[in-house]
Amino acid sequence: MSFLSPGFLAFFPVAALFYFCLPARYKNAWLLACSFFFYLCAGVKTFGFLLFACVFTYFAALRLEKKPSRLVLALALGAHIGLLFVFKYLGFALSLASRVLRAAGLAFSDPALSLLLPLGISFYLFAAMGYLVDVYRRTVPAEHSFVRCALFISFFPSLLSGPIPRSTQLLPQFQKGTAFSLENARRGAFRFMLGAFLKLCAADRLGAVTAAVFSDPAAYSPGRVLAAAVFFSLQIYFDFFAYSEMACGCAEVLGFSLIRNFRTPYFSRSVQEFWRRWHISLSTWFRDYLYIPLGGSRRGSTRRNINVLIVFAVSGLWHGAALSFVVWGLLNGLYQVLGSVTAGARSRLRRCIGLREDGRLCALWQTACTFALATAAWVFFKAGSLRAALAVFCAMSPQRAGMQGSVLFKNPAELWAAAVFIALCLALDLLSLRFDVPARLARAPRPARWGAALTLLLAVFVFGVYGTGYDAQDFIYFKF
Amino acid sequence: MKRKRIVFKELLWALLFVLAAGALLGCASRMLKPERTEYGAVWRAFLAEPEDSMDYLYLGSSYAYCDVSPAVIEQETGLSGYCMAGPEQTMSITYWYLRQCLETQSPRAVFIEASALHFARFQGFTQVNLAYMPMGVNRLGAALTAAEPGLRTGILFDLYFYHDRWTEITAEEALRALAPAQPDERRGFTAVQGTAENMDKAPFERETQSGQVYLENLGWLRKTAALCQERGITPVVLFHPTYSRLPQEWYARIARDMEDTPGVLYFDLSAQAEACGLDPMRDYFDAGHLNEGGAHIFSGFLGRFMQQNVPALAPEA
Repeated sequence: MSFLSPGFLAFFPVAALFYFCLPARYKNAWLLACSFFFYLCAGVKTFGFLLFACVFTYFAALRLEKKPSRLVLALALGAHIGLLFVFKYLGFALSLASRVLRAAGLAFSDPALSLLLPLGISFYLFAAMGYLVDVYRRTVPAEHSFVRCALFISFFPSLLSGPIPRSTQLLPQFQKGTAFSLENARRGAFRFMLGAFLKLCAADRLGAVTAAVFSDPAAYSPGRVLAAAVFFSLQIYFDFFAYSEMACGCAEVLGFSLIRNFRTPYFSRSVQEFWRRWHISLSTWFRDYLYIPLGGSRRGSTRRNINVLIVFAVSGLWHGAALSFVVWGLLNGLYQVLGSVTAGARSRLRRCIGLREDGRLCALWQTACTFALATAAWVFFKAGSLRAALAVFCAMSPQRAGMQGSVLFKNPAELWAAAVFIALCLALDLLSLRFDVPARLARAPRPARWGAALTLLLAVFVFGVYGTGYDAQDFIYFKF
Repeated sequence: MKRKRIVFKELLWALLFVLAAGALLGCASRMLKPERTEYGAVWRAFLAEPEDSMDYLYLGSSYAYCDVSPAVIEQETGLSGYCMAGPEQTMSITYWYLRQCLETQSPRAVFIEASALHFARFQGFTQVNLAYMPMGVNRLGAALTAAEPGLRTGILFDLYFYHDRWTEITAEEALRALAPAQPDERRGFTAVQGTAENMDKAPFERETQSGQVYLENLGWLRKTAALCQERGITPVVLFHPTYSRLPQEWYARIARDMEDTPGVLYFDLSAQAEACGLDPMRDYFDAGHLNEGGAHIFSGFLGRFMQQNVPALAPEA
């Protein structure tokens, strides 16, 4: 059930209404029932995996609290990783092994596996693993209520595509419970509507273009392929930001607060900063549960650089079982390694040419470079395979200059709409650096609040990309 | 007490907001939905007619709106009526159309062109047929029982189908959509021009549906007839003169089934083209539909036929 499906728009008000009407002791059970129902709507077949993760994590955490043992933690994490490996990576690993063995002259044909990938598995298993490590580290006590533990793993706003919840943040909220607040409801509703606006008016409008160009880059002129690559950078941001905003908005209506997943990442001045502001719930997860245990930056710069590369390779794999995702991750890691290695030289160069470190020109240049680097990496992400990514880069080649090819937008009105909505979304993004836009709108006087809400509704329903005649785009992160 | 007042006030504001949003989206829907003045489903013009001003209603598919001109019938007999047909309108949609029509009209007879007894459960024009119905219980009922599941969202929420027309709509078109509807003198009739080819090889045999689908359609037809009887209206089921015919055994079976349907008057004119004054080489647009000239001739005949064969419409009634 997508947040933008009629089913969810009918389900959520009922879920929220009953949640607030029920006595406190039944509230979490109701939310858990709603979360299970939400997941069952996405597919009955994979529900067992979610249930297993809830039950297994609950008992493993109790065991770890009683007797913190590395072995138990390793076994518990191994079970989760094993589950993830079998369903997400086994096919990829076998095909990789087959390629390597064939290259070495050994005959090996990988079996054609048709395992279904449980929806949201990367998200809920990471939430569960983070919780187990927290219990082992004594950061949080084990949750003795199965309902609360299961709810933490399967809380429906963040179940399918995050933000990946952290036990320190979400479990206390379930323990404390929430009551209805008009301001929360308004803020959550505005956040949800802004998310819908980002998704339907901007992300999906660009999505139609990027899908066409990436499927046949040779049919477009180099400038248009480059434009499509830039559009994909914006599309994936608006798409995932939209999902996160809608998830946070739903949680906020219910009185819960989730991790904010984005903080204007495309206005970052370095790739390192970009990753502090992009998919924050995943970046911080990798920082706390992988990068720091690997030694972080405590063991010298070489080890630090290796750690960064390991973390980003794993992050790439987390996104998808394909070499192109690994390359995307490694490329981002490499940017950071090269960034730190060349930091001194770049600083000296800036001083030489009289570019002030804190000046606007310098900030603009660094922001543009960061965006260009991120865009180049996103090509691997979107292309789906190394060969396809190479085809996209070849299609950008200046040697093809002068080639006309297909247009990106068949209707000029669509081109204008895309330009206006990109500008609006980036303006909203910039505004969010100064204040929380949904919170400010929720507190505005009634005429302004209504005006904003009605304008958003009208924009989404009239200019949004949905309905018949459109290829409805799923949220990109759904498939991870 | 104060808290209750605040809650009540906020609920009232919330309700007002929902109404404002509904009105805004309603206006947007109305502006963006393409204007429909012919080829059936002409609900705006129908609803602009004075209440209870019709002697009869004519329901069916394109065989109805291409063949029957209520203006000619009125000229011929003085009977006023409206052709509320839709393209490839199935029997289930006909039922919901009639329910909606009866909210503003109280005809003495309802004519149902029977070709739809051999339509599939869903034909190709559900969206057009239902998206123009006034929003309400009947449209909801039609969406749930007479529409493909994939079309339901759009049938219940116009913008789902038509929002992307913002790129092509003109200000004039938008203003016209917001202005009150005007009656249309064609009253649901659509004149088609041209003459059918290959009529020397006519008659042709129409594709039939399985017995199961036929029974389902018959069920809707009987439901429609029952609704008519409930309101004191005479239901009339008829086949127009056509050169796109069902196999003879089907006409016989339909005649038997109509006999078993209480209160229904049934007429099979499918092989009566010449008796109706129609020339197959001149008056047909294709084997099934009459062209403008043919419709003029047939409507004149139909008016007289109505008065002679439907007691509720007889001059003395």
